[in-house]
Amino acid sequence: MTNKKGEVQPPSRHHPMIGKKPKVKNLRATITRIWNYMKADKIMFWLVLVMVFLSAVLSLLGPYFIGVAVDIMTGAESVLAFEVILMLLAIVFVLHSVTLALQNYWMIDVSQNAVFAMRKELFEHVIRLPIIQFQKSQSGDLMSRLTNDIENVSRTLNTAVIQVTTSILTLVGTLVVMVLLSPLLTLMIITIVPLMYLGMKWITNRTSYYFKEQQNELGEMTGFLEETLSGHSMVKLFHQEHRVIDQYQQHNKKLRKVGYWAQVYSGFIPKLMNGLNNFGFAVIVGFGGWVVLATNATTITIGIIVTFTTYARQFTRPLNDLANQFNTILSAVAGAERAFEVMDQEEETDHKKQDIQHVKGDVAFRHVSFSYHTDEHVLQDISFHAKQGQTVALVGPTGAGKTTIISLLARFFEEQEGEILLDDQSMRNLTNKSIRSHLGIVLQDSSLFDTTVRENIRYGKLNATDQEVEESAKMANAHAFIEQLPKQYDTVLKGNGQGISQGQRQLLVIARTMLANPSILILDEATSSIDTITELKITDALETLMKGKTSFVIAHRLNTIEKADMILVLKEGKIIEKGTHLSLMKEKGFYANLVTTQTVQTVYD
Amino acid sequence: MKIIFKYANTYRKAMFLALFLMVVELIVELVQPIIMAKMIDDGIIAEDMSTIYLYGAILLAITLLAFAAGITSSFFAAEVSQGVGYDIRSDLFRNIQMFSAMKIQQFATSTLLTRMTNDVIQVQNLLFAFMRIMLRAPLFIIFGIVMSFTLNIPLAQILLATIPILFVVMFWLMLKGMRLFRHVQGWIDQVNNVIRENLLAIKLVKAFHRMTFENNRFSKVNTKLKDKNRQALWVMEIVMPIVMLIMNIAMIGLLWFGFIQLDTGSARAGEVVGVINYATRMLASFGVFAFLLMNLSRGRASANRINDILVQPADDVVIKQQQREMIKGDIQFDNVSFTYPDTSQEVLRAINFQVKAGEKIGILGETGAGKTTLLHLIPYLYHPSAGTIYVDGKPMEQLGNKVRHDVTLVPQEGFLFSGTILDNITWGNEHLSQEQAEKVAKEAQLHDFIMTLPNTYQTVIGQRGVNLSGGQKQRLSIARALADNPHVLLLDDSTSALDATTESDVLATIRERRCTTFIVSQKISSVQDADQIIVLEKGSIVGLGTHRQLLQTNALYQTLWDSQQKKGVTLDD
Repeated sequence: MTNKKGEVQPPSRHHPMIGKKPKVKNLRATITRIWNYMKADKIMFWLVLVMVFLSAVLSLLGPYFIGVAVDIMTGAESVLAFEVILMLLAIVFVLHSVTLALQNYWMIDVSQNAVFAMRKELFEHVIRLPIIQFQKSQSGDLMSRLTNDIENVSRTLNTAVIQVTTSILTLVGTLVVMVLLSPLLTLMIITIVPLMYLGMKWITNRTSYYFKEQQNELGEMTGFLEETLSGHSMVKLFHQEHRVIDQYQQHNKKLRKVGYWAQVYSGFIPKLMNGLNNFGFAVIVGFGGWVVLATNATTITIGIIVTFTTYARQFTRPLNDLANQFNTILSAVAGAERAFEVMDQEEETDHKKQDIQHVKGDVAFRHVSFSYHTDEHVLQDISFHAKQGQTVALVGPTGAGKTTIISLLARFFEEQEGEILLDDQSMRNLTNKSIRSHLGIVLQDSSLFDTTVRENIRYGKLNATDQEVEESAKMANAHAFIEQLPKQYDTVLKGNGQGISQGQRQLLVIARTMLANPSILILDEATSSIDTITELKITDALETLMKGKTSFVIAHRLNTIEKADMILVLKEGKIIEKGTHLSLMKEKGFYANLVTTQTVQTVYD
Repeated sequence: MKIIFKYANTYRKAMFLALFLMVVELIVELVQPIIMAKMIDDGIIAEDMSTIYLYGAILLAITLLAFAAGITSSFFAAEVSQGVGYDIRSDLFRNIQMFSAMKIQQFATSTLLTRMTNDVIQVQNLLFAFMRIMLRAPLFIIFGIVMSFTLNIPLAQILLATIPILFVVMFWLMLKGMRLFRHVQGWIDQVNNVIRENLLAIKLVKAFHRMTFENNRFSKVNTKLKDKNRQALWVMEIVMPIVMLIMNIAMIGLLWFGFIQLDTGSARAGEVVGVINYATRMLASFGVFAFLLMNLSRGRASANRINDILVQPADDVVIKQQQREMIKGDIQFDNVSFTYPDTSQEVLRAINFQVKAGEKIGILGETGAGKTTLLHLIPYLYHPSAGTIYVDGKPMEQLGNKVRHDVTLVPQEGFLFSGTILDNITWGNEHLSQEQAEKVAKEAQLHDFIMTLPNTYQTVIGQRGVNLSGGQKQRLSIARALADNPHVLLLDDSTSALDATTESDVLATIRERRCTTFIVSQKISSVQDADQIIVLEKGSIVGLGTHRQLLQTNALYQTLWDSQQKKGVTLDD
């Protein structure tokens, strides 16, 4: 029953959202926070409520005047002329439509402004979160909070306020008018409520089970489909078409079974409501008629019976609507709550820190330790000194802590013990902003944006001229392939640079870093297979880029490592060896062993 | 849309029953006012208690009847909609399984998934709603007008004249609103795209300190989304007030005209009240039309997306009890060219070579040179756009997909299925014994690793179990391929994640199998002992020969060789 984001979902009258109840931890606090966003348009909001009230009154007045008009027709005495009644009726009808339109118009403004502000604040907050928050939560989860959850709020906020207040007002209004007309008949109608409650309970007990089962089966089937469809050529290659079809049919059959019962039971709901409505009708007419005849009472007239048949319907509908709205609103509130949770995470701050103006590029680690959780050290007692212009190669198996060292340098994480000195100043006392302005980072997962090649390079220096952009592209060996693209520098890259090769993406990233011209470089050498020619271009471009800069390289290629001024061999978060290629080879330790075993196997004939 | 009815036809009995039961309910509701009128006229006014008892009992009885009909219809309607859903899903899956590897590339996995899940659910819901509520509103309006005509013809004419005006206004506004909502969807995508980009590139944004720049970028799309959303919502929300106004104006017209007729004596009070009563009930039905239109358009879009898949011809049909033809493994490419459908560029151009059974062939070339495409032609996954491939001297078309019994390909990223390690090894050959499975695992140099796992061959892998490294995945998919006992083995860079020792061990055991082996690689070292090496460049063969021959004669090969020597080795675990 979930609908895709953005699609229009009219308030479904006959299919309440049943199934999993959305979990809300703190309803009141969350609603208060949503209200805080709507407060900006406080006046408009109150106007909406006034309009809702007016329209509810008008909706009761309409049938009343029709009744009066009918009375005049049937010859009843009246103080007002028939034409006057019709005029009043016309005014009531026009005002009713106008108040409905106005309440919607203002509510759209209130809700969309609130959602706009929520989106804006959330986005601005998220990109200021420390990187460590991104690693803690799965990116898919964060994405869904920023998009689906907010979209859910956006869709519900519009209608929820109006619908809930209208339902309550109609319920109360109808009840009051009914009691005024005839307490006895009102009592008869109210007998429907416990019946409705019991019936709904019986049904939802079953639907919630079957909807959950349906969701599970659907999940199982989706998993199976995902696998067999993406492995389609495997199925072909191993000629297993008939087997997967058989397996699929098992899932399909299970889904049909639970789907059948879920739909049957949920189909009972509108029928129950209808049945109770009809039952109410029969009771009012039958019982009312009996009362009139048996007791000769003057309290109930034919007119009142006729009016009651209308009101009985008006009475049960808001009850049903409220029940429908309840789950929709809860799920939106739960969504808002998830979004607010993100907003409550602390931002990265540069509080009480100084800017660093000029950087030579002298970097020293002093007894630095770091851990994500307190019990396990990712880095332990790391010390080394990189002088201005030197190249430091980080070597070691996966998980040794190479990436963590780089993340500390880039201030994505902060060290827990020890300190990192940049030109003899502790990085703790310097603003992240100013440190990063002197750093150039070329990561393996080289991110590109969905914009032109030119803008992607310009990202390194926003005020760079087109000429500067092209110059750095030339230096990065990227110019040649860019010229081959359909629109050269104005080619729009789609989906993180799909359509150009992995190696070409690297070249663009290098061009971007070249344009930024930092004093310190951080490189994560690509491990994925890039074809040899492009790889030569990358190596060459990197050499140009690194010239004169202090560089830290997570290296995989022997020739990169050999050239380094200092090699740090890491294992399980510690530096186990340190030196140049020659000195380490002499040591005959871990590094020397790594190099020899790897080289021995590639002896050519 | 037609397709829904085609499928529903299977369940026409249940469908007619569901519709019939719905009509029963409807009739009860239409009859109620008449019975009420009877009770008032013949019972209360005539002071006849027995009439009240009689009609009261009838009223209760038909109420129960309607309730029973409603409940029963639920079973039939669910049978139809779930049955249709089941049938569509099953046909979709069957058809997709009979698509060729080339055809399925026209559809991303995600769109196939959505079509098989969400779109089918949409169609199911549409059918269910159609049988139970959607048809009700139009029927109610039609019956209501008919009943009005039996009461008073001039008054009913006013009602009849109003309905088309209402329809035109309502549909026009709603179509406009739906069009606007499609724009909104576009802007939602834009907003989500900026968010996604920023989440993916958060390190970059921070490294270059571009928060303000990104905030401005986001603000732009966010504002646009708000404006478009307001427009669309406004158009949708205005529909009901306008419809109500028109209907209410008609109501005043009814009253006024009725009043005049009363004066002239051509109408009775009861008739006027009756027509007004029907008009009120019709107005309530109109609310359902918004719901109906929305569901119809969504259902139609889904039905079309489903149909897109079903009308695709199954171009790789497999006959179940297929006779296996033994293939020795001689392969010949005769002027073979290949172009992907709907593109103009040739990925392979006039490829000629000949391979004898049992030979080892290396294929080298840059990314995009056509290596993988060439491999895909051999198991008949792709079909050449020109030229002929001969297998054991026979043209490939004669053998068709039967070649796959003897030809097996190991893709670059070892694609594994969820389940145990043993499940994966025996995936292509269910009859494999444990011993045979262990044998191929040993050949793929994976047995020792498997034995270190808690449940050895019964260890579950993937999301719910042990995660395998890239190299382990590759070796497992090699084992799976060997389990199929191939006579032609195609390795698509499928040892790239293995360290040098393991790689050479695996290649050596494969060599012992004496099957025709094609090896695509980035590294010359993996193929230098091959009987023939094919050097591809931009879809053409630019070099063909042994390592020694190519070193002497081929410029590109020399460059590759030199650069790989210079590059040195990979220093990784």
